[in-house]
Amino acid sequence: MSQYGTTRGPPPGKNNIDYHTTLFRRLSWEGTVPLEIRVDPNELPANSDRGLACYFIQAPRVSYMPLLVPEIRRFLMDVVFDETAAKTLKEEDWWFEVDDGTLLKWHWPIGLIYDNHTILTTVRPGPSLAATSANPLRLILHLASPPNDKLLLSPTADACKLAFMGQLKEADFIRWGNTKRMTGLRKADQDGLWEGIKEHNFDDYWRVASKVTPTMTSNRPQSPGPPPSSVSMHGRPPSADTVGPPERDGAYNVRSVPVRLYLPDGPVIQDLVPPLLEDGTPHTLSHFLTTHTPLLFPAQPPAPPPSRSNPNPRPPAQPELAYPLVQGILTPLESEMAWLGACLAGADGWVNVCVGIARK
Amino acid sequence: MTIPAFGSTTTSTRDAMDADTSDVGASKPWPAPDISPEAVAALDTYKKRDPSKVVVRFKAVGNAPIMKQNFYKITASNRFQAVIQFLRKELGWKANDPLFTYINLAFSPAPDDTVSNLFKSFCTDGHLIVNYSTTAAWG
Repeated sequence: MSQYGTTRGPPPGKNNIDYHTTLFRRLSWEGTVPLEIRVDPNELPANSDRGLACYFIQAPRVSYMPLLVPEIRRFLMDVVFDETAAKTLKEEDWWFEVDDGTLLKWHWPIGLIYDNHTILTTVRPGPSLAATSANPLRLILHLASPPNDKLLLSPTADACKLAFMGQLKEADFIRWGNTKRMTGLRKADQDGLWEGIKEHNFDDYWRVASKVTPTMTSNRPQSPGPPPSSVSMHGRPPSADTVGPPERDGAYNVRSVPVRLYLPDGPVIQDLVPPLLEDGTPHTLSHFLTTHTPLLFPAQPPAPPPSRSNPNPRPPAQPELAYPLVQGILTPLESEMAWLGACLAGADGWVNVCVGIARK
Repeated sequence: MTIPAFGSTTTSTRDAMDADTSDVGASKPWPAPDISPEAVAALDTYKKRDPSKVVVRFKAVGNAPIMKQNFYKITASNRFQAVIQFLRKELGWKANDPLFTYINLAFSPAPDDTVSNLFKSFCTDGHLIVNYSTTAAWG
């Protein structure tokens, strides 16, 4: 559309991503969470420096635990472990637990691990992490005897990459009913997605990801009208911008948005989430939550009929039972699912909606 | 056609699946005293496991051995991991024998995805089609 083509540099085209989309993608990408990693004191090798056996890190939300292990290992080797004792340690035996005894999923993005734990603290006695900002997620690092049957995946970066690619393909299939966009990428590009995560390089990742992620510049059903013609600096008449064919990769043209809904202490709910409802209006977060968890997000009762004394009645106020977090952010219920899918999805393509429970 | 229930062939499979208490949180007490009873009741309702069953259809890819029986019923609340374990058992696969599983010839789901979630999103003609291969096919 002309306002993007003329003010943001690149010419209009399929890969022309508007300013706000890039902004939210950048904000999601740069999001970090505080982690406190403590080695299980019972497993510290002999002669370790026990006073220092704790490592703090501000980890990218889009990263994965196996990608942090080399950095944690370097710290422990340099500062904590005795050199001879450390030689007996094998990295493939390392595994993590949250300090309440929950096993850490190797293949979940770190931001999701953090948010999923945050909503758990909203139902447990004690302070809710959602209310206290910047509280680290306390993790225990075990150095031996991994419970492999429960960890589901081997803790290597390679296994994590395979799982990540699997998630991207599943998201692709959810959106379009096939995985042609993902399988159509060259091997170098597919690897580039993972490299982008590994190196935490936004541009490298999005250079490839923009080929498989829906765009937000499409014919959004309730999009604002065309800009005043004075904004259009190039020669085309403004009408040429508004009657183009529907954009093939538009966020509102997908079959379904890849979304998972997490409740405190489980379960995880996944279902088809079409971007538009049957009446053609956008599928909002409010509609999504009311459909799948009506006991936590009851449908709004209708407003009373207007009267002379109250010409614009509002529906009766309801107590808030729960609230949604996406990328750790309290998300407005009127957010459109298609927009969330294009702008606030994780690097694996999935929108993770974590539901916290309100405290009185 | 009668479709055998998942795990009916061997008791050990059944045991393995019952032990699959997926994602049970830590045993810390809950709820916090200051959350509303409505929210507690709602969470309890959503935590109940779906006892319904769905039909899984196994399809071999490439050199993978074909199964005598291709259709099985499985409890929807099971994780995909249980499907993988069942398949390994049926094929007589050892722990280190390679086995790759895909949905709709397209992608490998996460092992902690539930069968119910996969079925809702990807079922074809009332079945969840699980392809299996001895080599990585669409990895």
